[in-house]
Amino acid sequence: MIGGGVQRFLFEFRRALAAPSRNPRMAVVLGRLLGFAFLVCFGTGLYSHFLQDPLPWMHFATRPVFLYQLTQGIHITAGILCFPLLFAKLYSVFPELFQTPPVRGIRHLLERGSIALFVAASLVEITIGLLNTYQWYELFPFPFRQTHFALSFVIIGSLAIHIAIKLPVITKYWAKKDAYDDAGEVRELDRDEGEIFQPAAGELQPVGGVTGRVLSWIDRTPEPPKPQASRRAFLTTVGISAAALVGLTAGQSFRILDFSNVFGPRKNGIGPNALPVNRTAKAASVIEKASAADWTLTVSNGDTRRVFSRAELLALQQYEVDLPIACVEGWSQTATWKGPRLRDLMDSVGADANASIRATSLEEGSLYAVMSMKPEYVRDELTLVALELNGDTLDLDHGYPARMIAPGRPGVLQTKWLTSLEVL
Amino acid sequence: MTNETLVDTSAPSAAVRRWRVVLMVLGIGLLVVGGLVLLADVSPKRYLGILIWFGGALIIHDGIVAPIVFAIGLVMRRAHRKIPFGVIVILQAALVLGAIMTGIVVPEILKKSIGTANETLLPLNYSTNLAVFYGVLLVVTAAAIGIFLRVIARRERAR
Repeated sequence: MIGGGVQRFLFEFRRALAAPSRNPRMAVVLGRLLGFAFLVCFGTGLYSHFLQDPLPWMHFATRPVFLYQLTQGIHITAGILCFPLLFAKLYSVFPELFQTPPVRGIRHLLERGSIALFVAASLVEITIGLLNTYQWYELFPFPFRQTHFALSFVIIGSLAIHIAIKLPVITKYWAKKDAYDDAGEVRELDRDEGEIFQPAAGELQPVGGVTGRVLSWIDRTPEPPKPQASRRAFLTTVGISAAALVGLTAGQSFRILDFSNVFGPRKNGIGPNALPVNRTAKAASVIEKASAADWTLTVSNGDTRRVFSRAELLALQQYEVDLPIACVEGWSQTATWKGPRLRDLMDSVGADANASIRATSLEEGSLYAVMSMKPEYVRDELTLVALELNGDTLDLDHGYPARMIAPGRPGVLQTKWLTSLEVL
Repeated sequence: MTNETLVDTSAPSAAVRRWRVVLMVLGIGLLVVGGLVLLADVSPKRYLGILIWFGGALIIHDGIVAPIVFAIGLVMRRAHRKIPFGVIVILQAALVLGAIMTGIVVPEILKKSIGTANETLLPLNYSTNLAVFYGVLLVVTAAAIGIFLRVIARRERAR
C-alpha cells in the first residue's frame, strides 16, 4: 500500500520517539486521571445545563447554598487541570501516531479515526472552555454554549469507545504489580508481528538523505540513563504543573485560594459593591429604564396584580441573607443581600405553594431576560428580591432597582433589573 | 492526533469481551446524542468552523507542539554527556511548567489588551504577574539545581 521507504521512515521515527515515559503503563496511569477529570467535567456540566434548561420532572436541591458554586468551581478547575493531563497523556502515546502500516484494514481505520475524533474534540473542548472564561467569543466561528454541550457527548462517547478498544491493555497495566517486571521495567506488550512492520535484523537499510542523517544523529543520542527516575520525574512534573495551575487560578472559585489567585480571570472583591459583574447595565442597555424614578415591579397571579415601587418594596419585611453569586464561567463570591422574600411577594397575590414563576428583566432581546423559577426556589426562605448588596444600595451593574437572588442557582438565572414576576 | 494501536495477541477474557460490548454501545449511543444535539442546537453553517478548529487542534498539537517537545527532549538527552541527569530533569520540569502557564496566561493578556466587556473581567495585571512567575520559577529552578549538585558532591565525597 505504501512504499518501503515511507514504511521504514515511519518505523525509524517511531523508534526515535521512544522514551521511558512513553509506555503503556504511563498511558493507563494518566488515562485514569484524565478519564476521571473528563467525567467530573461532564457530570458538573450536565448539572449546570439542566439548572438552566430543566426537564419538566426535574427537582433541584437548594441546600447547601454553595452547591452550584462548588459544582461549577469544580467544573472549571477540573477543566483547567485537563490541560497538563491531556498533554501528558498525548505525550505518552505520541509514537503510536507513526505506526506502520498506517492503516491495516477497516477496523483499524475506524479505530484510528475514533481516536482522532476523541483527541480533536478534547483539545477543542478544553480550549474553548478556557477562552470562554476570558469571554473571548470573537475567536469562535461557532456558538460557544451549544458547541461545548454537543462536544461533551462526543468526548464521553469517544472515551467509552476508546476504553472498549484498549480494555485488554488497560487491564494488563492497571495494577502496578502486573505492569512491571522483576527488574522494575515496564513489561512489553505482545505485538501482532504479522501486521506491524517489523524489519528483520540486518534487513533495515539506512534511510538516505537529510532524513537519514537526522535519524542516525538521533540514533547516536544516548538512552536516558535512569528510566525509572525519568518516569518518576515525568509524573512529578505533571503533578507540579497541575498544582501550580490550580493554586494560581482556582481562587476565582474557591475563597481559600484567593490569596494566590494571580492568573484567574476574576478576582474576589473587585467590582461595584465589591463584587464582580458579568453583564453591566450599559451592556444590557437598561441604564435609562433602571434609573427611572417611576420604576415599578409588577407581581401578578392571573387577574390578581400588585404593583410595587422601590419604596414600597423597602417598606416590606426585609431579610438579610449571605448567598454566593456563582457564574457559569466558574468564578463565584459570597455576598450579603437584603430585601423582601420572594415568597412574601407571591403570597401577596395569593400564589399557590407549588407555583412556578416567570421573572422578566428590563433588558430586552437577551436569552436570560426572561427566567423561570421552580417552586423549590420560589418558596425558599433565602430567595430574595434583593434591593441591597453588601450593606449598600444595589449597584446599577448588579441589577438596581431590584434583582433576584436564590440559593444554588447559576448567576445567569439571578435575574437583574426586574420588571415583573408572574405566577405560571 | 495520537493514534496508538497496542495489539495484545492474548485473547480477551469473556468478562473483557462483555464490557467491550457494553462500552461500545454506550459510546456509540453518546456519539449519536452529541450529533443530535449538534444538529438541533448549532446551525449547519457553523459546522465548517468546528471542523476547522478540530483540524487546527490536531495540526497544532501533533504537527507543531509535539515535534518541538521531541526536539527539546533530544537536545537535552544529548547534553547529558556533559550535564548531570538530575539537572536535566529539573530543567525539563521548569520548562514544562513555564510553557503550560504561558499557554494559559498569554490568551488572558491578549484578550485584556483587546478589551473586555467590563473592568471586573480580567482585572489583574497578568503581564506583570506572569513576569513575576517566570522570575520565581527561575529562582526556584536555580535553587533546586544548586541543592541537587550539593547533594551529589557530598555523596561523592562520602564515597
